[in-house]
Order: sequence, then C-alpha cells, then structure tokens
Amino acid sequence: MKNAKILVVDDEENIRLLFKEELEEEGFDVDLASNGLEALDKLKKGRFDLVVLDIKMPGMDGIQALNEIKNANKDQPVVLCSAYGEFKQDLSSWVSDGYVVKSADTRELKQTIKNILGL
Amino acid sequence: MNPVDLLGKIIEISHSNIELSSRITSILNIISRDMNAEEAIIYTFDKDRRLSCRYANQKSVLFKILNQYRCHVGEGVVGSVAQKRSPLFFTKRDIPPRFGCLFYPDLDGRIENYKLFAFLPLADDSYLYGVLALCAVSRDTLHDADKVFLSILSREVGGILRSYELILSSKKRISELATLTELGKMLTSNAEPRELLKNIALVIAKSLNATFVTIMLGYPFLKLDAQRFTYGIIEPSVQDHVEELEGAATRLLRAVSIKDCAPDEYEDSFKYTLFSAPIASKNRVLGTLTICAEKTGQSYALGEDGQYLISTIANYISSGLENTLLNTRLRDAVRELNDAQKRLIEQEKFRSLGEMTASIAHEIKNPLVIIGGFTKRLARQVDIDRTENKYIRIILNEVTRLESILNEVLNYVKETPLVAETCNINDYLDEILYLLTSDSSWEEIEISRSYNQGLSLVACDSQQLKQVLINIFINAHEAMHGRGTITIQTKQAAYENGSFVAISISDTGGGIDPAIIDNIFNPFFTTKERGTGLGLAISNKIIMNHKGHIDVENVAGKGVTFIIYLPVKNHTTKEELL
Repeated sequence: MKNAKILVVDDEENIRLLFKEELEEEGFDVDLASNGLEALDKLKKGRFDLVVLDIKMPGMDGIQALNEIKNANKDQPVVLCSAYGEFKQDLSSWVSDGYVVKSADTRELKQTIKNILGL
Repeated sequence: MNPVDLLGKIIEISHSNIELSSRITSILNIISRDMNAEEAIIYTFDKDRRLSCRYANQKSVLFKILNQYRCHVGEGVVGSVAQKRSPLFFTKRDIPPRFGCLFYPDLDGRIENYKLFAFLPLADDSYLYGVLALCAVSRDTLHDADKVFLSILSREVGGILRSYELILSSKKRISELATLTELGKMLTSNAEPRELLKNIALVIAKSLNATFVTIMLGYPFLKLDAQRFTYGIIEPSVQDHVEELEGAATRLLRAVSIKDCAPDEYEDSFKYTLFSAPIASKNRVLGTLTICAEKTGQSYALGEDGQYLISTIANYISSGLENTLLNTRLRDAVRELNDAQKRLIEQEKFRSLGEMTASIAHEIKNPLVIIGGFTKRLARQVDIDRTENKYIRIILNEVTRLESILNEVLNYVKETPLVAETCNINDYLDEILYLLTSDSSWEEIEISRSYNQGLSLVACDSQQLKQVLINIFINAHEAMHGRGTITIQTKQAAYENGSFVAISISDTGGGIDPAIIDNIFNPFFTTKERGTGLGLAISNKIIMNHKGHIDVENVAGKGVTFIIYLPVKNHTTKEELL
C-alpha cells in the first residue's frame, strides 16, 4: 500500500523536524510547511491524506488556516496540535477532525492520525 | 422707721442682687419687726394650685406647723382672701364666725397667744401670686394708716413674686433650649447609633436634672443589639409605670404623663413626675423616650407642661435616628463599593498575571517538546544498559515533570466554566473516600465521619469539587505521613445572611506553621519538595466560583481543619422541579 501523505504545519523548525522524523518512523510520507499560507499553497499543488496544524503561528494562525483548508475541501482531514490546553474557536468556523496537545510524547498524535486515517 | 423709709428699704431689697428667697425672707423680717407682728408668712400656690406656706420671717414659730397644711382657694381664711382678693384684718375676739376657727381646728390651741391677725392678697392688677399673713402677740389694734401701708406693701411683694416666676420660667426656657441645642449638636454628629443613643440619654438627663432617661427602641432599628438605652437607674417601683407609659405613648402617638395613666398615685405617694413620648418618623413608631424627675427636684423644664418639651425632644431624636440610619446605610454602601473595587483590582491583577503566565508557559512548551521529543528519539538509539541511556532517562523524567507543571499552570490560569448539578454532599464525600481509601497507602488512616443527615442539597460542578476534596484529602495524607485520623463533618451553616453547607475536614498532621498560614492559598506557594503550589490556589478558585469560601482553622502542633462552605441550592418548589 502506498504510504499516507501528511503535511506538518508549524512555525518552529525543530518541531517540524521532530514530527517529521517521528511520523516517518511510523511509515508516513511527511511534507512540511512553516506557516498557514505555505500550507495552503502546498495543498493546492498536491494531495495530502492529513494535515497536522499548529495553532499559534505568525501571519495566518492555525484556526484561520483550518477554515481556508476546509472551505477549499471540506473532506480534507486536519488535526490541530497546540501547546495550549485550550483554544478559542467561534462556532461558525470549521471543526477539526482531531485535537492534540503538543507533547514530547508523540504517541497521542500518532494514534489520533491513525484513527482518522482508519489505520 | 416711718412708712416711707420702710417702703424705701423694702424696694431696695427687692431690687438687690441677692437670691430671691433670701430677699423675701429679709422683707418679711423687716415687716415683722416694724409692724410688731411676731409672724410674717407668705402663702403661694403649689403645682396643684393649692395655697401653702413658702416663706416666713426668721423668728417665725408657726411656719413649721403651718407648712404641713395646704388649702384650696376659697378654703379657710387664707383661701377666702385669695378668692376675694381683698384683705382681712381682725383681732382674736372678732374672728368672723363663718371661719369657725382661724386656720385649722387642731391648730387653734397653738395660736391662743396671738391677738391680732392680718391677711392680705399678694396680687397685681391681673394676677394673684399668694397671700401674706401677719400674726401679732404684742399688739391688738391696727390703725388705718397701717392697713393702707400694708396694702401698698403687699402689692410690692406681689411684684417681687411675679418677677420670681418670670425668672423661673425663663430659667426653664433656657434649660429647654440648652437641652435642645446640645441634642441638635449631637444628632448632627456622625456618632455610631449605639453611642448616639447613650449620649442622648445622658445629655437629656444632665440638662433636665432628671432621675433617669430611657430610650426604648421597639422597631428593629439599625441592627442594634440592645433595645433600651438608659441613663440613670430605673427604680423597681417606677418600672411598671415606665412600661405602661411607653405603651400609652406608642398607642396614642402623643406624649403622655403619669398623671394621665395613674392619677391617684401621682397625687399622693408618688415622688416622681414621669413623661413618655413616641419617637416616630412618618407615623411609624421607632420607639419611645421616657424622662423621670423628682417632683420636688430642681428640674425647671419638667413642669406641668413637660409633654411639650418631651415631644420636641422625641422629634429631634427621630430625625437624628433617621439621619444616622441614612449615614449607616451610606457608610455600608461605601464600604461595599470599596470592597468591590478591591476585588476588581485583585481580579484584574490576577487576570493579567494569568495572561502573562499563560504566554510564558506556551513559550516554554515548544522548546520543551523539542528537547523531550528528540531525547526520546536518542533514547531509542542508545543501548538500554549504557550509562548514557541512564542520563537520557533522567532528562526525560525532568521533561515530563516540567510538562506536568506547565499543564497545571495552564489549568489554573484558564477559566473553566461551571457545569452545575444538584449534589448531595454526604453521598459525594463517601464516593470520593471510597475511591481514595481503596489504595493501600491509606490503610493506616482512620476516617471518622459525622454527617448531618438532613443536609441541604448544593448546586456544584462535581468534577471540580472532586478536585478540591481530593486535593485536601491528599494534603492531609501527606501531612500525616500516611498515619493518623481524618475527621469529616458536614453541617448547615449561616454566613452573612446566606445559607450554606459546611464541609469540615480535619487531620492530625501537626498543623501548619503559623508563620506561613496566610500564604497557603497563594499560587505557587508550596512546602512540598515536588509541588507546584497550585493545589490550594485552584481549590480556592473553584470554591469561589461556586460562590462559596474556604476557611482554615489551624492548631499548630496538632492539626489543621479546612472548612468548605458551599451555598445551599435555592429552594425550588415541586412545580418548578416538574
């Protein structure tokens, strides 16, 4: 089976690197974007099975990016991943498919992704 | 002394500065000596408009006997002269038969030696002030010139008596005014109601020379703990009358005196005059003012017309009380406002501190995830039995610890909304205790329960309340190093007009050092080696969000008791529940 393609969006380079290595170890193909706009650009050009989206980013934040992504393709799976224990999201916006608190322990993130992809 | 000189002397005395009763005595001395009359006595009216001996010459013998008797106008020789306002002169031989006896039947033996009598009204054109009586042993005739002279003299003495009355009534007026001025000053002051009422009683008593003054507040006024404010001592014999008068004044909404309520006692043996007036505001009776003075005492103001004065004073007091009531309300309102402002500032401080903490926590979180994440990766590449792996484990443990601290901080800072449900605290406590004590570390802890079985229900977020209770239980467990007694009590409690359920949890862990007791609810304050210091701060915040509060009773060396107060769920009718 072809590897699932995952786009990791985070403004911290080392977080991106960590997630990339951790997810590749699980057999995913991982591409990276450092902000919302770059992510939208990559989604326009290619197909991804899932997007991991940080919330607090300069420029376009994760919530805005989520809305843009879902407006373009409401079936695109997105997992929000943030250092915050909570975030504010107004009720009219799109809802993510999963939400994970950012942690050094990446097991929850991996499990959430697998659940959404039905793996 | 010739009549002109005599009259001159008398006028001189009457205009002198010496005390009035001494002036009259001096005049009577002169009349007695010059008229050759052994007795020169003046009758005046007492409070009941009866004639009684008031003044006499120094050598008078009869005065001491006669002043035991009083007579009405028209009664006896003295009364007759007063009634007709014309003088009577006669010798012992020609005492007019209509009088039968001269003064009183049993006195006739004492006046056998007297040969000549003269009785003159002391009056001016409009008013009668009394009667002058002269009795002589050493002479038995009176010339017409003497009679004319005595008539002039009696007018002069009448004048002196009149000025005496005027002075008395002015003194009375001055004393009234002084009382009212003092009261006015006091009532516009900002004294506490208790002090104010005590001082009012004192001022009235002092300035009116009263035996006692008592203010009774029948209306639940100003939240005062006492109802009666008294200056002086209420004699037991008067006590009943005081209550009777207070009742009458309240009922009739006007001033009353002992004369109205118990005229018989007032007439005879009763030595006091007693007045009571309602302290009313807009026809609502707040209480009564009662003043008591001795009848014979030097109380200028409490004469026959005392009702007028006491009503005025009572009106002063009621407006003063209204004023004080307003002041008290105002002060309360200002205090509440200040408290609210303080709370607001506190909250604001807390909120900005919270925002800052959240942002710092967030900034730390990313590097921590990176350190931890890569260290984990490193761990997987280093053989488990190598020394490097041991170091890596230490780093990972510390990262985990840092992460959990950050989570707690973020938990504390964020506002968690309450999910309220109706909760029976007794059952709830049992549930939590069951969960806790199933752990083996609780084996040596004795749990003593004392529940109020009729405890009211409370509305609370059970998840958050669980966090609070578990926190306190675990603190107790740690303070007792796993061995001791935890006593749990539930009861109803009232606090600042509210109805609360109180949960008290005591341990035997030696208590908290009194030096740090004030800090225990402060965030980040901890005595534990590994603690964030947020446990009690979060607990406090949760209980405050429930509109309750936490109290701490600390007995250093013994143990500590935490008391959680949660507001009782408002009474709901069955209909509302359905």
